[in-house]
This record gives sequence, structure tokens and C-alpha cells, in this order.
Amino acid sequence: MDNKGQMFEVWGDIIEIKSLVISIIISSTSTMGAYFIAPSNDKTKQLFFGLIGSVLGFIISTFFIRPKRIITIEEESIEK
Amino acid sequence: MNSMHIIQMFLAALVAVFIYTFIGFIPGTDETSVLMPITLTVVLAGVPPIIVLTFFIAAIVTLNLTNAIPTALVGLPGGVMSSPMLEYSLFLKEKGMSALVIKKMTVGSLIGVVISIPTALLLANVLVAYAEKIQTLSSLLFFLGAIFLSLTGRNKILSMLGIIPLAILFMGLRHLYWGIGIVPSSANITVSFFLGITTGPLMVSLLGLLNKRSRKSMVTKKMKKISIPNDAIGNKTLNPFKILTRAEIVKASISALIANFLFVLSPVGLTILLGEAATNRIKDPVIRSNTAITTMSALIQATYLSGIIIPLIAIGVPLSPTAIGPGSALFNAPPVFTVDNNLHHRLDSWEFIVAILIGAVIAITITYYITNRYASRISTFVLQRIPHEGILGLFISLIILLAYMDAGLLNVFGVLLIGITCGTLNKMGMGYGVQFMTLYAAPWIVDKIILL
Repeated sequence: MDNKGQMFEVWGDIIEIKSLVISIIISSTSTMGAYFIAPSNDKTKQLFFGLIGSVLGFIISTFFIRPKRIITIEEESIEK
Repeated sequence: MNSMHIIQMFLAALVAVFIYTFIGFIPGTDETSVLMPITLTVVLAGVPPIIVLTFFIAAIVTLNLTNAIPTALVGLPGGVMSSPMLEYSLFLKEKGMSALVIKKMTVGSLIGVVISIPTALLLANVLVAYAEKIQTLSSLLFFLGAIFLSLTGRNKILSMLGIIPLAILFMGLRHLYWGIGIVPSSANITVSFFLGITTGPLMVSLLGLLNKRSRKSMVTKKMKKISIPNDAIGNKTLNPFKILTRAEIVKASISALIANFLFVLSPVGLTILLGEAATNRIKDPVIRSNTAITTMSALIQATYLSGIIIPLIAIGVPLSPTAIGPGSALFNAPPVFTVDNNLHHRLDSWEFIVAILIGAVIAITITYYITNRYASRISTFVLQRIPHEGILGLFISLIILLAYMDAGLLNVFGVLLIGITCGTLNKMGMGYGVQFMTLYAAPWIVDKIILL
């Protein structure tokens, strides 16, 4: 692949392929992993575990991936 | 209902406000995919019905307001519902008026809540008498809604042409699952199909990355530059009557009132339709944008609140896009709720009123204050810490989870198929509203139109 480090605009914001793949792998593994840990006869626990798993995956991803945004704080002049 | 319940309702509302304030500020989080799974978990966990309702009302009121904020501050829509405001917000942001826009949004939201709760409660009580008739006509109403939204959409002919093929796709998958026995024939898979529709355009864009040629058109060299205006400088007042002009108050109130009567139509569709109708005669672009933002903020609250309150109290069947999408767990979440035994049957009218009021009042009071005071700070935190890739990863894993729970691995690919189809149609001009209505009307369309 020739696109390592290349950035793309998807859904109104900037992403990098490698980071996206990492994030999808981390999140879906933690989500479905947690889902299968839950007792298989209890739908509530399965959903609950799955949600916790997805949140965990999301938090882990935010540690590994840097947002591709440049933030500046501006002073807004007097309002009309 | 006793004092213990009241305390629990307060707590439930506070929890909902806390969770959804944070989620709302994250750009691009789709309402259904953030509301439905969490509500479903609350229901399945055995929380008493009245507390579930308080939680849900507080959640939608909070989310509808906080979703609008990134639109004004940084020019990224917080969710599907805030996308109609984007153009106006960007215009006013360039003029350096973001702080005022946020104030207009909060007051607009407040108006939407204040107008639509009593109106929806009244309408619900009127409609109770006709509940049975409406229940039998609901599919026809969804079908007419799909046609109506096609006619008001971007690509009218394509939208009309797309209705029947989409209905065949949905019913085809359902019959396949019934046929091989992975889903009992009494169950209609809706939740994961719904998510397939909402995330369709995203799926199509992501799959586009796999194609060399289309990937080229998405390449960008620069990081996204975002400037965040510092917190509320200038006008410090929180008095709603000083933030809006008289004309804005009147337009927001009337639009919110009308939206209640059209609760069966798509909330995004209605917000665009009524929001544009209220403002398209205004010449001055600044006044026009401000009025549009105020009116649309009111409409977002009104469409969601009426869409959940009226079907819940009057009918007990999810007969509105809000009820069947984000609120579906309140109507049907076996084994706790079923279509014959859900909030509609379990709560009496006083319990409904108390739960709705506590949820809405707590949510709008806290978010009104927080968004006016801390919008920039929260937004800066979110944008500096949360990568877009993380959000996309979260979405994809939620879709996989819910698709798998609905009908196993087969359905994960079924939802992918729906996502590709609906996403492509969406990019060609067939809006979400038409697609949602088609999903709800699909069994009827196949029975009554195709097989006629």
C-alpha cells in the first residue's frame, strides 16, 4: 500500500488509514470479546458487557491515536 | 409512585444528563446509535418503567441541545439532527458570532421543550380515543409518509423509485432469517436494519477508501484546522427573552407547535421543512441564519418529544420515527417490554406526566446552564482528546454488536448489505426519512402493493 501516513477526509473529519484500522480492530475485539464473556443465556448482560467493551475499546483507542486537528482558541470580538 | 421513586427519577435524569452531555459534544455521533443501546440496557436491567421514561426524556432533551453545540463552535455537526443547521452556523461562525449562536440554540431548545410537552400531552389524550383505528392504519401512514418525504426531498423520482426495492430488501432478509430459522417468525428485526440505514453513507465512504480511484478523491494533505471561540464573551445574560428577538420567539414557538401535529414524520425531514419554511422569506442573511438556528433548535426538541410522548401515551405502538428508532426499547424489549405490555400499559397518565416533567425540567435546566457557560471548554477537551478514528471504530463495533445480537453472524453481513444499498441511495439523493418510513412500512408494502 502506498498510502501509509496519508490522510483522508471521511464524514467531515480527517483520518489516517493506519489509525483507523487500529481503532476498528481494538474496538470490535473488545466489544465482541466482552460480549462473549457474558453468560450466553442472559441478553441484558450480553448487551451490557458489549457496551462496556465498546467504551473500553474507544478509550484505549484515544490513547493510541492522535486527533488530526489543529486547535486554536480565538477571542471573539464583541457580539452584535 | 412513592417518594423513593421520585428520588430515583431525579438520579436517573442526572445520570442521563451527565452521559449525554459528553456524548453530545462528540461530533458526528448518530442519535439512534447512542440512545437506543444504552436505553435498551437500562430497560433490560429491570429498572422500573417510570424511571426508564425519566431517563429517556432527560437523555433526548440533553442530547438534542448538546448535539447542536459543535455545529456552532467548530462547524462539525454533533449528530444527524443538527446537520440542517450546519450551513447557517458556519456562516455565523465566520462572522464571529458563535457565542450568540449557542445562546440562540439553548433558548430555541427551551422553547421547543416548553411548547411541545403540554401540546404533546394534550394531543396524546385526544388521540387515545382513536388509538385502535390509528393502530390498524399505521403501515399505510408510514407508506404515505415515505411518498410525502420523497416529494419534498432532493431527488424526488429516485426516492419514489427506491421505496419498493428497499422494502423488498428488508423483507427479503427477514424472510431469509425466518426461513433458515435463526430468528423466530414472530420477531421483526428492526434495530440493526435501522442502524444499517443511519450508518449507510459512512459505510459507503469507508468502503470507498478500499478503491484506489475513489481513494484519490478523498486524500487530503492538511490536518483539520479548527478555531474555537473563547467562552461567552460579551453578553452574559441567561434571560431567554433578552437573547431572542420577538420574531424569533414567535417563529420558533409556532414551528414547534406545528411539529407536534406531524409527529409521524421524520424528525430531520420536519426540521428542514418547517425550519426553511419559517425563514425563507427573510432577506438579511444574518437575521435569516439566526432565525433558522433558533427555529430549528426548537423543532429538534419538538419533533423528538412529540414523536416519543404521543405514541407512548396514546397508542402503545411505535408509530413515529423517534419511537421506532431511538425510543424502540421503550415499546419492545423482550422479555421486559413487548408490544402488548410496555410503558403504555404499565404507567397511568399521572405517572407519565410526572416522569416526563422531571426528566425534561432537570435536563433543560442543567444543559441550558452548562452550554451557555462551558461550551468552549468542553468542546476544546473533546476535540483535543478524541480522534475521529476512535469514533468510527466505536460505531463499527456497535453495529457489529447489535447486528450480531439480532440474528448472528449472517446479520452482520445483512446489515453491511443494507448499509451499502441505503448509503448509496442516500448519496444519490434518497433521504434518511424516506428510508426509515420504508423500513416501517415494508411488511405492508410487500403484502398490499407488490402482491396485490
